[in-house]
Amino acid sequence: MPSLRSLQTDVMSALLSGELRDAAALIALGGAAGTASPARRLEVYRNNVRANFIDSLHSSFPAVWRLVGEDYFRQVAREYHRDNPSRSGDLLHVGRGFPAYLAKLHRADQYRYLADVARLEWLCEESLLAAEHAALDMERLRGVAPSAYGALRFEVHPALRLFESPFPALRIWEANVASDAEPEPIDLGAGADCLAITRVRLKLAFHRLSRGEFSFLDSLRGGDDFSEAIERAGACDEFDAGAALRRFVAAQIIVDFSVPANPSGT
Amino acid sequence: MHERSPVSMRPEPMPASAGIGLRAQHHLDVLSGAPRTGWFEAHSENYFADGGAHVEALMRIRARYPLSLHGVGLSLGSTDPWDRLHLEKLRRAIGRFEPGLVSEHLSWSSVGGRFANDLLPLPYTEEALRHSSARIAEVQDYLGRQILIENVSSYLQFNSSSLTEWEFLAGVAAESGCGILLDINNIFVAAHNHGYECHDYLQGIPRGAVQELHLAGHSRAEFEGALLLIDTHGSPVCEAVWELYRAALRRFGEVPTLIEWDTDIPPIHVLEAEADKANALRASLHAVAA
Repeated sequence: MPSLRSLQTDVMSALLSGELRDAAALIALGGAAGTASPARRLEVYRNNVRANFIDSLHSSFPAVWRLVGEDYFRQVAREYHRDNPSRSGDLLHVGRGFPAYLAKLHRADQYRYLADVARLEWLCEESLLAAEHAALDMERLRGVAPSAYGALRFEVHPALRLFESPFPALRIWEANVASDAEPEPIDLGAGADCLAITRVRLKLAFHRLSRGEFSFLDSLRGGDDFSEAIERAGACDEFDAGAALRRFVAAQIIVDFSVPANPSGT
Repeated sequence: MHERSPVSMRPEPMPASAGIGLRAQHHLDVLSGAPRTGWFEAHSENYFADGGAHVEALMRIRARYPLSLHGVGLSLGSTDPWDRLHLEKLRRAIGRFEPGLVSEHLSWSSVGGRFANDLLPLPYTEEALRHSSARIAEVQDYLGRQILIENVSSYLQFNSSSLTEWEFLAGVAAESGCGILLDINNIFVAAHNHGYECHDYLQGIPRGAVQELHLAGHSRAEFEGALLLIDTHGSPVCEAVWELYRAALRRFGEVPTLIEWDTDIPPIHVLEAEADKANALRASLHAVAA
């Protein structure tokens, strides 16, 4: 009699590979549905496992599904599943590696933009599921002495995600999730994306960023203080720190700050 | 957003009246209307996120209805080490939503770090019984509460099994101290697929252990001329399952019953009507008994 461990290992290998013959030897014959063979019975599970995985990818990447069509999506999803089986009891996580998988698959062809649309969809999903945070109270900020500004550490909203792409990925995504109507053709050369994605009152919000603003937010979210973030932003373009701060507080992208205990030491 | 109101969120015993399986498609209906149901049951993993619309909706629904949390991804019967993050998220969800009941499946879905994300049956052996009982006890210790364990639908049995499924389920409950969530449709599906008697199953489950019943629809699939019943949760409860439910009510008494519907999800009034039917059946049996 096989140990529980070896039985589970053999069945899992069969379900993920589709090679059902060896595991079929573990399955009892019989039942009122008598003639359903052990391999057929395993196949019910094999099909469920795949269908659950692909359904989850579909719900994470509706725009990619629409762009490539159901047949191709399913084909790629099956290959992705074979190479990247689920590593969690929560199926929501299986899409994490899908944008990179698409990028490898379409590294050098006219579908190069697909991986960027997928990456945008994944960041949107992460943003929608992130923790809540109240907006920053400007009164509190006004209470800080101007000389201490440089050392402030601003905190961004947990739902903030930054996205850049050489393609107009946001327009492509919007055209493919907003309605069932056939989308207008979009020129892939219509402009690069440089975006902040966040969530306000449970809904996604997109903000177009300059290179400097992008660096500024990237710097803050990495833990740099205000002066370091301004310096990084200023290296990219003309950067107005005061305007950026006001904009990102109003957009609930910057939601908190802390004053270091020893500002002169940092 | 997630602060608790101690008055409305107190854990409370689940009503014996029928409940409805909660799906995200119905969040708005539930929040804008007041569906006729004694309680809701939600899949735990669907509310594992740090925040967002689903978590927010369930907080508001929980303030109005008793709630049960039903896990589908813990992989209780696996021989892998625990997925600690999954357990942590389950504990967080219980802290947030304060459910009256918490349940998981008597099955496994992962080994070697790879997940099938499906409810796979165990071999019904002494080894698997000891293993599953120990795992359930660990979960109960970690969560600081009793959980219910549900029998799954199955399409295969292992030839190493030396116990019947009902002996296995009853044995696990006795050894771990867990309660039983008896899925009547799953008994019907498995009994057909494996050729045993539903009533033998019911008789094999101790009266006091059952704390919840599930009802759902299934579908039929032809394989090589043989008919397998498939647990799809995508149609009304069939007449034969209602009949078996009557027998279960006679044996197990007043137990909260859930109507599950997880694919091809209909408008919520269809689920309300199924819950009404379960309530009417329970009331008629109760009247006869009284």
